Amino acid sequence: MINERYLEITELVKAYPNPFGEEVKVVDGFNLKVTQGEFISVIGHSGCGKSTVLTMIAGLNPISAGGIIVDGREISGPAPDRAVVFQAPCLLPWMTAWGNVMLGVNEVYPHASKRERRDIVAYALSAVGLADAMKKYPREMSGGMQQRVGIARAIALKPKILLLDEPFGRLDSLTRMELQDVILGILNRDKITTMLITHDVDEAVYMSNRICMMTNGPHARVGSVMSIDFPRPRDREAMMSDDRFFHYREQLLRFLDDCEHAKQAPKAPPDSSDSASGDGPAKPPEKTNFGQRMVASFAALF
Amino acid sequence: MKYKILKALDIAGLQVFDPVVRLCYGEEPKVQLQKIGQFIIIPIITFILFLIFWDYAGPRHTTKSGEVPTPAVVRDAAVGVLTFHERENIKGEDLLRSGPQRDAALAEVEARITELEPIAKTAAAELKETELAAREHLKSSTAEINALYRAKRLEFRDAAKERQTELKVLADKTIDGTEADRVTLLEAVAADRVQSAAETEEVQRLRDERSAIENAKYPPLIAARQTSNALEEELQFLRKRRDFLTGENRDLKITEVETKLAGLESDLASAADGAAALKIATSIQREQDNLATLGESTYSKPWTLPAQIDRSVRCVFVGFIVASLIAIPLGILCGLSRIFMAAITPLISLFKPVSPIVWLPIIFIIVGGFIPDPSDSALLDIFNAIPGLAGMDVNPAFIASALTVAMCSLWPTLVNTALGVASIDKDHLNVARVLRLGFFARLFKIVIPSALPLMFAGLRISLGVGWMVLIAAELLSSSEGIGKFVWDMFNNGSSQTFAQMFVVVFVVGAIGLLLDRIMIVLQRLVSFDGAPTAL
Repeated sequence: MINERYLEITELVKAYPNPFGEEVKVVDGFNLKVTQGEFISVIGHSGCGKSTVLTMIAGLNPISAGGIIVDGREISGPAPDRAVVFQAPCLLPWMTAWGNVMLGVNEVYPHASKRERRDIVAYALSAVGLADAMKKYPREMSGGMQQRVGIARAIALKPKILLLDEPFGRLDSLTRMELQDVILGILNRDKITTMLITHDVDEAVYMSNRICMMTNGPHARVGSVMSIDFPRPRDREAMMSDDRFFHYREQLLRFLDDCEHAKQAPKAPPDSSDSASGDGPAKPPEKTNFGQRMVASFAALF
Repeated sequence: MKYKILKALDIAGLQVFDPVVRLCYGEEPKVQLQKIGQFIIIPIITFILFLIFWDYAGPRHTTKSGEVPTPAVVRDAAVGVLTFHERENIKGEDLLRSGPQRDAALAEVEARITELEPIAKTAAAELKETELAAREHLKSSTAEINALYRAKRLEFRDAAKERQTELKVLADKTIDGTEADRVTLLEAVAADRVQSAAETEEVQRLRDERSAIENAKYPPLIAARQTSNALEEELQFLRKRRDFLTGENRDLKITEVETKLAGLESDLASAADGAAALKIATSIQREQDNLATLGESTYSKPWTLPAQIDRSVRCVFVGFIVASLIAIPLGILCGLSRIFMAAITPLISLFKPVSPIVWLPIIFIIVGGFIPDPSDSALLDIFNAIPGLAGMDVNPAFIASALTVAMCSLWPTLVNTALGVASIDKDHLNVARVLRLGFFARLFKIVIPSALPLMFAGLRISLGVGWMVLIAAELLSSSEGIGKFVWDMFNNGSSQTFAQMFVVVFVVGAIGLLLDRIMIVLQRLVSFDGAPTAL
């Protein structure tokens, strides 16, 4: 039986005190339920608190209020059952790829035999396509390879939840696509519940079962959740030529655009009244906003 | 192969020789030659210029220990130091030689002595002749000025006498004379004084001139003396060797005692009465004791500079290891805990600037408290049993010097380790948190490896500081070593020992450089990012 509330986040709040003693709630009332084996993406503008939510699930960031339940148990502090792949690979430079993966394996399987541990590490590294580079040091590897080791380190722990914090953010687009397929390949074999933080719309649509759109911070929360019902395993080319793909994309972009409006509107009321009489989005209140709107309306043409 | 050599050079911190290797492999000869010119030839030229300047400036300053030695004199002094060391080693070996080895050595020594003795005799005779010649030379070269000096002195003495008589006449006149007479007298006395002063100065000038000529070197004499001295020294050394190979030889002595013992034993068997037997038995016992002591006896070599260098290097490593054992754990604790760091920061800031000259006497007394009797001390036995310190004759002065080194050199390691541990990448710590590493796993898998490069940078500075401190500590504590050597040479005060102090400058510099290089290599080997270390 599949647990529909494998990961349950209720009324999650993250508040930071500002210098004047007031609390600023970055994330305020974040609710989400994730089914076991599901791939969920969290998308939102940068600075909206996506990463904050993820680090709280990982336990690296204390929770101000609310609760996070994983597989029926409330979390407290970090643990290997919630493996994280960080944006930077975060490998230990004095260890080989093998050593980096083995470090976690030794901690998580203290009772396994040496041989079993070796098999786990070898499996994880081959799964990310590094069977030939196990003995390499991080400095001898490209950024993409390093991130592969980071992924191997996470999946070797056999986590309940795999947390991906913009893992492809620093990679070039070709490597990014390769690694997206690496992860999807792994998830097709071992159904790990996965949460991906991203601001790349295509990536979210391509990889996810559901996409959770966050409103802009402060007081960020779940704006809406969209289901992507493409079958798995997924084929990038087939999806790209499917009309539904663009439909999802458009919806996401519209949501993000609306978030931007909501954020801008109270800030510059005279401008918005101005534009109401004029021709709408073509006359943006601010220059930076203009670019983003152009992109959005350009995307809406599809 | 080429790249292997280049990599080895790179790790050893000898990138300077990189272009030489590349040139050997024919890679862009023009560029490499240019680089060799810039980074090898120019430094060599600078060094030669320095030597030339030294050679020029040294003899221009005269001290109580003679002129400041020139590079050539210092080189000779270095050779002298080494010869002394070798000869002492040979003597030590000779004392223990036995059988055919001893015979061969003895034959060799005898041959050399017969060969040298006539030469030495001729040299001594020549020296005597040269001395006579020098005296003659001195006489002839100073004859002129001496005559002038004497003549002037007589002349001035007569002139002074004459002036005195004149003054006397003038003075007599004033008794019944007028005011004018008195004025004349006063003027005459003043004039006499001026005249006398001028004359004294003239005489003094002549005397200086004469002594300058007297003190001037007579090169043939110096050369003859050197030759004769060298021969005499070698002969003395050979005669000592002969003694050690014959009369004082341990093996011969042992045989002698053994024959004596055998004789005594047969005497005991045929002893006439109880009293005689007791006497013989006592003698046998005494001879047996004698034999036991003989079996362990060796030549008690005086400390030579190479042996002192050896002891100094070991001493600095003892101090350095003690410093590291204290500084690294403390540094890690400081880096891990802000509270601990705040707690010991005052101590660090207070003790760090204290000079080794202050620490040494304090540590010396404290160490002395632990070792009331150096000839029978369990602590010293422990030190002497440490593998690297065997035969180093560890004494309280040695321990005090090593601990002074430790006290002064632990700070850079401590501070750098603390910095290294405190500045660990946050991401790496996050990894540790996600994996829920235990304290020790975190310490050994993450904290220490990531702090290692900075830690080694600190160790490198510590070793450099320790080496500098050690020389001063040895000089003060009279612990056998380079510092003690300098102090002995200073107290000796001859021009030869003055030159030997210059030898020490280069020895200390070269060893310090070598230690630093070793630390650089170690630092490169532990720095995981492969980044080149500042040289």
